[in-house]
Amino acid sequence: MGSIEVSHLTKWYVPGSPILDDVSFREEGCGAVGYLGPNGAGKTTTLKLLLGLLQPSAGSVRLNDLDPAQDRRRALARVGAIVESPEPYPSETIYDALERVGALRGLDASGIDDEIDRCHRELHLPPLEWPCGWLSKGERQRVVLAAACLGDPAVLLLDEPTNGMDPAERVEVRGFLKRLKRDHLILMSSHLIADVSAICDRLIFLDRGKIRLRASADEVASLVRVDAVDVEFVRPTELAALEGLQPWVRKSVRLGDRRYRFRFDGQEETLSRLLEECGRVGPLLSFTPSVPALEAVYRQVITDAPDREA
Amino acid sequence: MPEGAEPYLPSPYSQWVIVARSQIRHYVRTYRFIGLVTFVGIVSVLWLVLLVASGRGLVQLSFLNSVSEFLTDYAQTLPLWIILAAACFGGDALSVDFHSGTGYYTLVLPVNRSVLLAGRYASALSVTLGVVVFYDLFGILGATYAFGPGSLPWGPLGLSFGLSVLFALAAVSVAFCFSAVFRTPATGVLVTVLVLFVALSTVQGVAEMAGLEPWWSLYYAGGSIANVLDWQFVAQQTIPVGGGQYIQSWAATAQEGASIMAAYVAMFFAFTVVLYQRKESRG
Repeated sequence: MGSIEVSHLTKWYVPGSPILDDVSFREEGCGAVGYLGPNGAGKTTTLKLLLGLLQPSAGSVRLNDLDPAQDRRRALARVGAIVESPEPYPSETIYDALERVGALRGLDASGIDDEIDRCHRELHLPPLEWPCGWLSKGERQRVVLAAACLGDPAVLLLDEPTNGMDPAERVEVRGFLKRLKRDHLILMSSHLIADVSAICDRLIFLDRGKIRLRASADEVASLVRVDAVDVEFVRPTELAALEGLQPWVRKSVRLGDRRYRFRFDGQEETLSRLLEECGRVGPLLSFTPSVPALEAVYRQVITDAPDREA
Repeated sequence: MPEGAEPYLPSPYSQWVIVARSQIRHYVRTYRFIGLVTFVGIVSVLWLVLLVASGRGLVQLSFLNSVSEFLTDYAQTLPLWIILAAACFGGDALSVDFHSGTGYYTLVLPVNRSVLLAGRYASALSVTLGVVVFYDLFGILGATYAFGPGSLPWGPLGLSFGLSVLFALAAVSVAFCFSAVFRTPATGVLVTVLVLFVALSTVQGVAEMAGLEPWWSLYYAGGSIANVLDWQFVAQQTIPVGGGQYIQSWAATAQEGASIMAAYVAMFFAFTVVLYQRKESRG
């Protein structure tokens, strides 16, 4: 099993303006950890520090209990990573690009072929004889993900792993990562809330170089106070027909012939009465919180951060 | 892998071989390599065409008096080819790590940076020497055609090739140093050509007019590649320029050229190692 440890990690280029400010966390075992934050929060910087591509201004990092700054080869031996937007040489074939990584990781020829076959199957890679220069951005990203997984590393550090993929590819990769997290430790930074929400069990919210919240996905869901609900009626419904909802609704927005968004005080009892009243107006097709739980928490955590400028 | 077992990794030497091999494979597929080899090939073929035309009495060539004269003239462009090849394959060798995605594909692997540097250095040098060998083969072919196989001066040719290797080492070292200094790959390539060819040859010309020997110039040292093939080589000349005025002209001997080249290798390679080890992937 792998481990990732970040201890009082600080990084600055200009004194007084830290990119990361005293960040600490430790993750071990298996599972997927979402590393969330807006642009410039310090997510990629953390991954680069973990990989030894940057030197910390203060604090330390350890991968599988080894310091990459001290012993890069051993520290990264059981780590696969995607950072920034890596790409193989456009002239080399997919097979050559993966074979190079396998050889540098110490796999023998048959081991490399087995691993390439496995990745080819699980990630539905394009034909291996294609040059990487022919690939779309999403296909290239899948090759890069395959390269990160080659040799079955215990820890995966993934910076925007679904970057450039179309929705179908993203769903496929989500499934792949969900299978992978059963016996691997994944630290995944992403802007795509839907991906993080689908894959990750634990979450770290980072903003302006500081950890704002660290919790399990369940804990995060319990933090959400839903104050808006999207309701879809079976039949087209006029706004005038919804006058009976007024005591429970702060604001109504018409989203379509049959769809409305109702903002309320966030109390469960109010929501229950509101939906009951909607049912009296006409049969309901569906009702869903207007903002997914994780996105709502992200907005609250990042927007309400105490030292965040307006 | 069993829990707690130490993962197997190839030795740094094996990783160096893998890095160098894949880098050479990449270089020889680039348009830069194909373009450079095509250009050098066209120039070499033009020499052969001139030789054939001269043999049939179609043109009169002054440098065809002896095999030495022919080879000296032919080898005079070698430093330029070496500088171009070193710039093309060394000028962006390290900046690419922090500028483009191809660097990040490799940097996250369990490979020491020194191994990556050495692998790329070996591959840039190999490809540069490939261009040298390609050009030299045409020269030997031409000399054999014009003067007969028995006339080739193998000793001076070997010395000239040795100096070419040393000059390539020096030029690649300079190119690597610039590629570690600049963040944009194209800048490293351009600055290498500008400094090694344009700037050094210009300053060298000015220095000679001022009566100073350009012992500090790599381009001057590169002249020794051709000088060792010249039977009538003179290291220092006083040339009249009219009105009772004279200028001094210097040409590097093999020892002088080799010393200057070795100094460039040591100095710029050391700079490169320090810069690359300290370089962080900011951004």
